[in-house]
Amino acid sequence: MIDPIGAAIKIAGSGLETQSARLRVVAENMANAHSTGTTPGSDPYQRKTVTFESQLDPAIEGNLVRVKKIGLDRAPFRVEHDPGNPAADSKGFVKLPNIDLLTEMADLREANRSYEANLQVIKQANSFTTSTLDLLRNSS
Amino acid sequence: MIPALSLAGSLLGSPDVTQAAPAAGSSSPAAETSFGDVLAKVGEAMETLKNGETTAISGLQGQASIQQVVESVMNAERSLQTAVAIRDKLVSAYQTISQMPI
Repeated sequence: MIDPIGAAIKIAGSGLETQSARLRVVAENMANAHSTGTTPGSDPYQRKTVTFESQLDPAIEGNLVRVKKIGLDRAPFRVEHDPGNPAADSKGFVKLPNIDLLTEMADLREANRSYEANLQVIKQANSFTTSTLDLLRNSS
Repeated sequence: MIPALSLAGSLLGSPDVTQAAPAAGSSSPAAETSFGDVLAKVGEAMETLKNGETTAISGLQGQASIQQVVESVMNAERSLQTAVAIRDKLVSAYQTISQMPI
């Protein structure tokens, strides 16, 4: 694909896809913010992280973006004293996920901004195409 | 419409007609290109439309992401608009020649 406008749309499209993947991970973390283990003393849900990398696309001679890895956050779990919980250990402590909702909200906001930026690129590329084609249309 | 034009294009061997064809940006500017040939090539660009349709259907089936669907449909729209603009231009060039006072 030599058409640079088409290439721009494809690259921005890869950005949309990765930001969607990021949104998915954030959704998972938020939904599982209170998921404890099922057996006494077992580990709760572990926060997931997402990393990105660039990927060379020979067809457009440019770099797309893709999800490199969905990894696990190794931060320590929160511990709460709740002897009535089924996941409590012998001393009555329950391990809760290492999720900070504030961090997830910040991540969500960043994904949103990045998605909008990529959408803007696509809109701009579209208007480039339209205005250039109008040149052909109205000159008669 | 296209067969009739191609017939007319092959009958009209005038230099003006052959010069109009490379201006349309056809991929392989042959020595003898008629209006009909060029219009047929524009029709070949419609492959992108089929692509967009296929992706849209697989998107409805949940096999493609909404971004992929939008991207391919937009690609199809872009090539359709380009093809239509080029076709209109060619037809108006053809009409200019055919309505030329003799």
